Amino acid sequence: MATTTLDSVLTGLAQEKATGSLRVGRNGTIFLTRGQVSYAESTGTPGVEELLTASGRISATAVRKARQAAGAEGGQANGGDLLVGKGVLTRGELEFCVLGATLDASYFLLDRALDSGLDAAGARPGPRSRFRDGERHWLGTHWFFDVPGLFRECRRRKARLDRAWPSSELDTQPVIPVRRIPGRHVVLTALQWEVLLGADTTATPAELARRLGRPAYSTLLAVRELGAAGLLATRGDPPAQSPPVLPKRGERSGPSSGQRSGPSSGPRAELRPGAGQDAAQPYLPPVSADPTDVNLLIRLRDALEALQ
Amino acid sequence: MIGIEDCLSEAMTIPGALDAILVDHTSGMAVAAEGVPYPEGSAAGLSEAFRATLDGLALSTPDGTIRIEDVIVTTDRAYHLIKPMETMFDGPLLICLRLDPDRANLALAMRRLQAISHRLIAS
Repeated sequence: MATTTLDSVLTGLAQEKATGSLRVGRNGTIFLTRGQVSYAESTGTPGVEELLTASGRISATAVRKARQAAGAEGGQANGGDLLVGKGVLTRGELEFCVLGATLDASYFLLDRALDSGLDAAGARPGPRSRFRDGERHWLGTHWFFDVPGLFRECRRRKARLDRAWPSSELDTQPVIPVRRIPGRHVVLTALQWEVLLGADTTATPAELARRLGRPAYSTLLAVRELGAAGLLATRGDPPAQSPPVLPKRGERSGPSSGQRSGPSSGPRAELRPGAGQDAAQPYLPPVSADPTDVNLLIRLRDALEALQ
Repeated sequence: MIGIEDCLSEAMTIPGALDAILVDHTSGMAVAAEGVPYPEGSAAGLSEAFRATLDGLALSTPDGTIRIEDVIVTTDRAYHLIKPMETMFDGPLLICLRLDPDRANLALAMRRLQAISHRLIAS
């Protein structure tokens, strides 16, 4: 632990209120503005450019042009304002885009720093980081994270993943949907639907994220939720290795997006007991008034008499 | 056209507004908050409430697909309004507003929130 960790490097830069870019080995770059993280990019996650082009708002060439135009302005690079000015996206969308991409990249860049007890790289203590003073991202600065806050959020996201499905087994393997589902109907989020549709039995969650133009973390979460719901096959390729004991299906395999599909409304839906029209039979609400409420009885009697 | 911070300060000008918070629904993170004492806890709770509403309604909707425009919860102390905004690349952003029932007008608040969301995200 004598080597400088990414954690301590970032904390140091935050204290110095540094502005510049921090290259994290070959994995990506974290941009700081006056000691706060203003952008992060990682080789494993789609950046703002990819998110924008995948959304269909703007072509890859238009992004490149905006980037060059921002670069031509020299030190005051602010490609984000340029894109907003052109009406490609609103200020809110730009901020959310930067925020989302930064969190997504940070999650994977800081991953190793998060579980500092474990040394996943074996002999190497972690990727070397190199700081370039004054270098800024071409998009400019549109959102800030303070360094402790960023670590806190990454930890929270890790816990959120484990809550969905406490095994990292599916994280790096190709996503393989099961041919038959272990039930009659299934509820999916929009992203889970895209993941299942995009899964070609060879793409890993990270590759799917790139292909779908979705954040890698969200895709990973969707994959774990699908795993928890028993919708993904776990690779049983190496026969020498006994199949790992899977954790129990989490209580909250709750999917997470704006749209969602309910039970299939095919012909089978009616055959399911309790799912027919009868299920929606109105029932009488429990009596809440005091049965001995004489006043109520008198008012009722008066009302009935008035009806006559 | 407004940014994230302006969106919240505009939401706080809605008559009867007590507090407002912007939540990233996928991760349950508080993006920004105004007047909320514990943004992190609130964000997680509101995100779960929205998730439960989606799940429950998806199962009870005859055609099986559901798209929520607003969630309105009235409690003995407040009105809660949750409005999902579709973003172009990730699960919805929730704008959540708590209102004082003695001062607020729910219909007006819904309209104002709708207008704010359109100015924040043009989709």
